[in-house]
Amino acid sequence: MAATAEFPFGAGDWLPGMDRREFLRLMGASLALGGVSGCVRPTGDTLVPYVAAPEEALPGRPKYYATAVPVEGFARGILVETHLGRPTKIEGNPDHPESRGATDAITQAAILDLYDPDRSCTPLRRGEPSTWTAFADEWGRQREIFAGTGGRGLALLTEPTTSPTLLRELEQFRTAFPGSRWYQHTALADYAPDGWQFDYDLGRARVILAIGSDCLFRHPACLRYARSFAKLRRVEQGQVPRSRLYVIESTPTLTGAMADVRLPASPTRLNQILDGITEAMGADSAGEGAVGPAVAVLSPDERSFIRSLARDWRLVAPEVLCVAGDEQGSAIRRWSWALNERGGAVGHTVTRRAAVRSDGDPRSAGGATALAAALRGGEVKALVIVSANPIYTSPEIRDLADSIHRLPFSAHLGSHADETAAVCRWHLPEAHFLETWGDLRGFDGTPSVMQPLIEPLYGGRSALEVLHALHAPTATGNGYDLVRETWRQGDAATEFELRWASALRRGRMEERPAHFGGDGVPGRVPSPSGRPDADRSTDPFVLGAHAPVGMVAEAAALAGKEEGATAGLAAAGWTLVLMPDPNVGDGRGSNNAWLQELPRPLTQLVWDNAALISPAMAEALGIANGDVLALSTDAARVEAAAWIVPGHAPGCVSMALGYGRTRAGFVGTGRGFDAYPLRRGSAGWTVRGLRIARTDRRYPLVTTQRHFTMEGREPVRVVPSDRIAAPPPDPTTTLYSPVPPGAHAWGMSIDLGTCLGCNACVVACQSENNTPVVGKDQVARGREMHWIRIDRYFEGDPAAPRLLHQPVPCMQCENAPCEVVCPVGATVHSSEGLNQMVYNRCVGTRYCSNNCPYKVRRFNFLDYRSPTDSPVNLQKNPDVTVRARGVMEKCTYCVQRINRARIDAAEGNRPIRDGEVRTACQQACPVEAIVFGDLADPSSQVSRRKREPANYSLLGELNTRPRTTYLPKVIHVGFPAA
Amino acid sequence: MNATPPAEADSPGRALVAPGQTPESVTREITAIPLARPQSRFWWIGFLVAFAGVMVLCGSVAWLLFRGVGVWGINVPVAWGFAIINFVWWIGIGHAGTFISAILLLLHQEWRTSINRFTEAMTLFAVACAGIYPLLHLGRPQFFYWLLPYPDTMGLWPQFRSPLVWDVFAVSTYATVSLVFWYVGLLPDLATMRDRAVGLGRRRLYGLLCLGWRGQGSHWHHYRKVYLLLAGLAAPLVVSVHSIVGMDFAIAILPGWHSALFPPYFVAGAIYSGFSMVLTLIIPLRSVYRLQGMITARHLDLMAKVMMAMGWIVTYGYFCEFFNAWRSGVIFDRYVAVNRVIGPYAGYFWALMLCNVAAPQLLWSARLRRCLPVLFGVALSVNLGMWIERYVIVVTSLHRDFLPSSWGMYHATFWDYSTLLGTLGLFAALLFLFIRFLPMISMTEMRALVTKSDPPTS
Repeated sequence: MAATAEFPFGAGDWLPGMDRREFLRLMGASLALGGVSGCVRPTGDTLVPYVAAPEEALPGRPKYYATAVPVEGFARGILVETHLGRPTKIEGNPDHPESRGATDAITQAAILDLYDPDRSCTPLRRGEPSTWTAFADEWGRQREIFAGTGGRGLALLTEPTTSPTLLRELEQFRTAFPGSRWYQHTALADYAPDGWQFDYDLGRARVILAIGSDCLFRHPACLRYARSFAKLRRVEQGQVPRSRLYVIESTPTLTGAMADVRLPASPTRLNQILDGITEAMGADSAGEGAVGPAVAVLSPDERSFIRSLARDWRLVAPEVLCVAGDEQGSAIRRWSWALNERGGAVGHTVTRRAAVRSDGDPRSAGGATALAAALRGGEVKALVIVSANPIYTSPEIRDLADSIHRLPFSAHLGSHADETAAVCRWHLPEAHFLETWGDLRGFDGTPSVMQPLIEPLYGGRSALEVLHALHAPTATGNGYDLVRETWRQGDAATEFELRWASALRRGRMEERPAHFGGDGVPGRVPSPSGRPDADRSTDPFVLGAHAPVGMVAEAAALAGKEEGATAGLAAAGWTLVLMPDPNVGDGRGSNNAWLQELPRPLTQLVWDNAALISPAMAEALGIANGDVLALSTDAARVEAAAWIVPGHAPGCVSMALGYGRTRAGFVGTGRGFDAYPLRRGSAGWTVRGLRIARTDRRYPLVTTQRHFTMEGREPVRVVPSDRIAAPPPDPTTTLYSPVPPGAHAWGMSIDLGTCLGCNACVVACQSENNTPVVGKDQVARGREMHWIRIDRYFEGDPAAPRLLHQPVPCMQCENAPCEVVCPVGATVHSSEGLNQMVYNRCVGTRYCSNNCPYKVRRFNFLDYRSPTDSPVNLQKNPDVTVRARGVMEKCTYCVQRINRARIDAAEGNRPIRDGEVRTACQQACPVEAIVFGDLADPSSQVSRRKREPANYSLLGELNTRPRTTYLPKVIHVGFPAA
Repeated sequence: MNATPPAEADSPGRALVAPGQTPESVTREITAIPLARPQSRFWWIGFLVAFAGVMVLCGSVAWLLFRGVGVWGINVPVAWGFAIINFVWWIGIGHAGTFISAILLLLHQEWRTSINRFTEAMTLFAVACAGIYPLLHLGRPQFFYWLLPYPDTMGLWPQFRSPLVWDVFAVSTYATVSLVFWYVGLLPDLATMRDRAVGLGRRRLYGLLCLGWRGQGSHWHHYRKVYLLLAGLAAPLVVSVHSIVGMDFAIAILPGWHSALFPPYFVAGAIYSGFSMVLTLIIPLRSVYRLQGMITARHLDLMAKVMMAMGWIVTYGYFCEFFNAWRSGVIFDRYVAVNRVIGPYAGYFWALMLCNVAAPQLLWSARLRRCLPVLFGVALSVNLGMWIERYVIVVTSLHRDFLPSSWGMYHATFWDYSTLLGTLGLFAALLFLFIRFLPMISMTEMRALVTKSDPPTS
C-alpha cells in the first residue's frame, strides 16, 4: 500500500510542458537517486503453471462472452471474443433485439478503445499524478461539509443514461445529499424530447418518408431498423416486394443513399415542402392532378417529389411510415406523427412509448444550460462530472471553464485526461465498459447486464463504483454487487441466481414488473427512471387526435410559427446544419485510430471533418475542395476546410461535430475543425444566419477515393425493380464448369440492393485481420490498408445525383491476374478456390497489385505495425499473421475462420455446414448484404443468391471469373394504380 | 596492303579516320589519355562531381533500406514508380553498346570501330545502374535471391510464368555477355597498355589483366574467332533483353500495358535512347580529348541517322498504341489513350512528343545534323524524352485503370529524385574511371582501319 502511494501508476510518465531546466533537474535527481536505490523490489509472487486448468479454457480456442456496448446510453448486445482472457473482437449478439448478431462500425471499433495507450491510468490532481486514496481523503472532507448543508451547492453532471443501477445510485446520491442537483448533458440527440419515444417497424412500411433522418445508420436502433428495412428489399428468385423510400434531407446520408426518390432540401425549404405534402395528401385521389396553393409555390423537383409521394402513400396506406429525424425540431416531429396517424400507420408501423433514457427525468435539474446558469449564479460549490466531457461538447460550459477551475472542489471521471479533466481539480480514470460490471437498456427497453472481460488495464473504475463511493464511502463499492443488488429485488435467492446466470449467458435480462416499483401495466415497460408515465392530458400528440387531417395542418402551422420566430435573426445568411460525425460521434471516438481512418460514408474523408457544401454553392462562391472557410454567427467564428459533396442541398453548409479536439490523446488531438462554438446560444442542430467568408488558406483534406463517377463502366449495376428478372449480358464464355472442382468452392455474394454502405464490414475486417492504421499522411499518398472498402459513386446531375456504394473485398478470381505475375509464387490458388497470399514468401515486387483490376491488394510500404511495447498489440487476432514491412496483403475470405470450421467439422466427423463459416464482414453486416459459403453445395445460401438472374461479376468482361459477385442496386419504381 | 588514305574519300565529311593517322599515331594518341600524368582538370572536376553523386546514391539507398520503399512516392494504384522507370531507362541506354559492337560488326559497318569500346563500357555501366533498381524496388530486398532458381531446402522455385523471372535471366545474361565481350575485345589493348605503362605496378596490373597476351599469331587467331562468336551470341540478346522488359508490361492485363506491340517497340526505344546517350557522351569527350581525328563528323552523322530511324519506329509505336486503343473499342483502353493526352499527366505526354518526335526531325537537315550543338541538344532531348516515355507508360497506365474508385495520382518524392541523381552519378563516375584507366578507343581495330587491313571480322 505504501509503495503504491509512493509510486502511483503513471508517475513515471512524461509531464506536459516541461522545459529544459526542469528536465535537467529531474534527470540529475533521477540519476543520483537511481544510484542510491538501484535494486528491484521483489514482487512477492511466484509464477506457477496451472495445476488444474480452468474449466473450458483451451489455448488457441477463443471464448465468447455476452455483454452490451453503450450507444448514446442505450444498450446494444454484443459477444466479445477472448483469447486466453484477452478480448480481441466484438461481434453482435444474435439474441439481442438491437443487434441480432450485427454490429456497426463504432461498436466494432470499441475494442480498440480498450487498449488505447492514452487512456488515463492514474487519478490526477491538478494534472499531477495522485492516488485513489488521496482522492477519497479529499472527498471525505468535502463530504463532511456537504453532509452538514444537505448537499447544497453540490452539482453532479452525467450523460443521460438507461442504466437501472446507475439511476439507483443517483437516487441514493440524492438521498444522501438532498440539496444536490443532478444535471444531464449530451451533445447528441434527445430521442424523446417530449417524453415519448417513437419506434418504427420499417419492415412493414411499403412507403417510407424520411425527413432529415438517418435512421438506418445513425440511431440507437439503427441495426434493427436497417435489418427490417432490408427484409422488404431482398431480391428472391427475381422478385422483390414493391416498396419505396422517399427521403428529404440537406446533407447526403446513407439513408438518403437508399432512397428511391431523394430530394435534397435546405432546412429553410423544409416547412414549405411539408406544407405542400400536407396539401397534396389532403387532396383526394380524384383531385390528384390539381395543384393547390402550397404546392404551386414549390420548385418543379419538389412538386414532382410530392406528387409521386402522395400518390404512392395513398395507394398503400396504412402500410406507410413517416420518420422525422431526431435532430429535427419538435414541430416536424409532431407533423410526422400526425401524418402517420392520418395514414393509419400509428400502431402499425410506428409506435410510441415512454422514454427509456433519462433525458427527461423529473429528478434532473436540467441540462448544460441549467448548469451554466447555476455556475454563473455561484450556486455551485462542488462539481462532479461523470463520464462526460462538457468543456468540449457544450459551448456554454466551455465559456465557464474558468469558473469551474476556480471551484473549491471539482472532479471528472473519464477515460481520458480530456478537455474537462484539464479544468477540474481531480481527474479520475474511468474503466472501459469491457472492464466493468454494469447494466443498460436497449432502445426498445430490453435490459442487459454488462460483464467485464478483463481486469481494468489501467486501474480505472466504473461510473457506478465512483458514484457509489461518493455517497457511501464505507460500503463495498464493487460494481458486481451493485448491479446484482439492482436486479435481485423481489426475487428468491435461487431464482435470482438462475436468472442472473441466464442473463450473463444470453446478454439480456429477464424483466420483472416488480423492479423499480413499476405500475405493472402489461405491455408497457415502466419508465426506468421511475418517472410516472407521461400524463395524457399534457400529451402533445393527443391534440386533435380524432381529427387527423386537422392535426397535420395544426402541426404545420406550428412549424410555420417556429420558422417565423427564427426568421427575424435569419433575415440573411446561410444555414448551417450540424451533425454528429459518422465515426467519432460527438468526439468520443476521437482517439480511436480505426474510426479516424475509416472513410466517412459518401465523402470518404479520413482523419478530419469538413464544411460540406453543394457543387452549386461551391461554384457560386468560387470554393474548391480544401479551401478554408470562415463560418461565423453573431456568437462565434469557426474556420473549416470546404468539401464539395454532390447531392448536398444548396444554400446550406453541413459540418460534423466531434473534431478540433485539444486534449483527445495522441490520435485525436488537433484533427479537423471544432464546430461546437457555432452551437453557442442555440444548442440545436440547425443554425440560421451563418456568414461565410473565404480565407486565403488551404487545408489538406484527405480522402480514400478521389473520383466519383463511374465513367460509363457500371461497376454498380442499377436496375429498376420491375426488371430484375432479366439477366445481365454475360460477357464471357468459358469451357470450364461453372462449379469449380474441389471439396469446397468458397464464394461470396454481395447484395447492393440492401447494402447501406455503413462501414461495419470495414472495421470488422480490420479488427479480425489485424489490419494496420497508417495515418493521414500515408492515406494522402494512397496507402490505406483496408482489405474491404466501400466504393461510392455519384451518378447523374451533381445537384441531385443517385448515391451509390459498393463494398469491394478481394474477388478471389478463378483466373486471378495477380497469381500469374508473382515471380516467387507468393500468391497462389487453393484447391477450394481461394486466392491465397503467402506473406512470408512475398518479396514485394507489387506486380500483383498493378495487375489487380480491382485494386484490392494492400502493400506495407513502411513498417505499419504498432511498436512492440504498445498495448494495442493485445487486440491482435492470434490466428492472423501481423504483416511485416515490404509485404503484400489482402482479403483472404477469413481463411482462419474457414480452417477453424474445418477442424470443428473434422472433430465432429461431419461436413462443414452452410453458414458455419461466416466472414468477419458478413457477420457484422446488419442487412445481410454479404453472404458467404460453399458454391459446391447447390443448396447453400450463397449458391441460391448466385442463381438470382440479376447476379453479376464486377468487371466480368476481363474474364477473371470472380468468386465474389454482386446483386444489383435495385431502384423501386412507383406503385401501379389500383 | 595498298593503303587508301582516308583523304581520298569523297569528301572530308565522309571520312572515318582523319587524314594523316598512322598506326603509330593512333596508338600514341589513345594510350596517352590513360597514361597521362597528371590527369586533366576536366577529369578531376568531372570525377568529383560524379563521385558526389555516388555519395548521394549511397545515402538514398541507406535511407531506403532503413525505412522501406515507402520513402518513395509509390502507392496503390501506382505501385511502380521511379525504380521501374529508371530501370527501363538505364537498360535501354545499355542497348547501344552491344548493338554497335555486335550487330554492326556482323553487318561489316566499319564506322563502329572508333566508338565500340566506349559504347560497350557505357552499356556495362548503364546495366550496372539499371541492375540496382529491381533490387531496391523490392519490398524485402534481402530476399532478392528468391527470384533465382537455386536448390533450396523447401523445394521452392521461382514462378516461371511471371515475366519478372524472365527479366532476371534476360538482364543477368545480357550483363554477363556484355562484360565478356567487352573484356575479350580489350585484351590486345591491355597488352599495349602493359607495354607502354610507366612504373612496375601499372605494368603488372595491365599485365595481369591482359591474361598474358603476347601478340602471337595463334593469339590473334583465337581472339578473332572468340570475338566473332561472342558477337554472334550478343546480337540476339540486344533484341531479347528489351523484348522481355517490354513483356514485363505487356503480360499484365492493365490497359496501356497489355499490348503485343511492346517488345519490338521497346527494343527500338532502347536503341533510340542508347544512341542518343552515346552522342550525348561522345560529343563533349571527343572535343576534350581531341579525338576528332578518330571519331569524325562522319561518325556523328551516321549515329544521328540511326537515331532518327529508331525515332521513327518509336513514333510508329506511339501511333499504334492510339490506333489500337481506338480500334479495340474497349472502353478501358480508349480511356487510357485519351487520359494520356488530356489527363492530369498530359504535360508529360506532350513533353514526350516534343522530345522524342518533334525534336529529332531537325536532323533531316544535313546542315543541322552536322552542327554539333544542335545534334547534342537533340541527343539530350531524346534522352529526356525516353525517360518521360517510361514515366508515361508506367504512371499514366496505372493511375487510372479499371475501377474509377481506385484511381489515384503519383507524386515522386525527394528520395525518388535523389536515387535517380545517384545512379547518374554512379554512371558518370564509372565512365570517368574507365577513361582514366583504359583505352577508350579500340587501338587494335583502329590500327587495322588505318592500315585498311581487314578488320578482325574477316
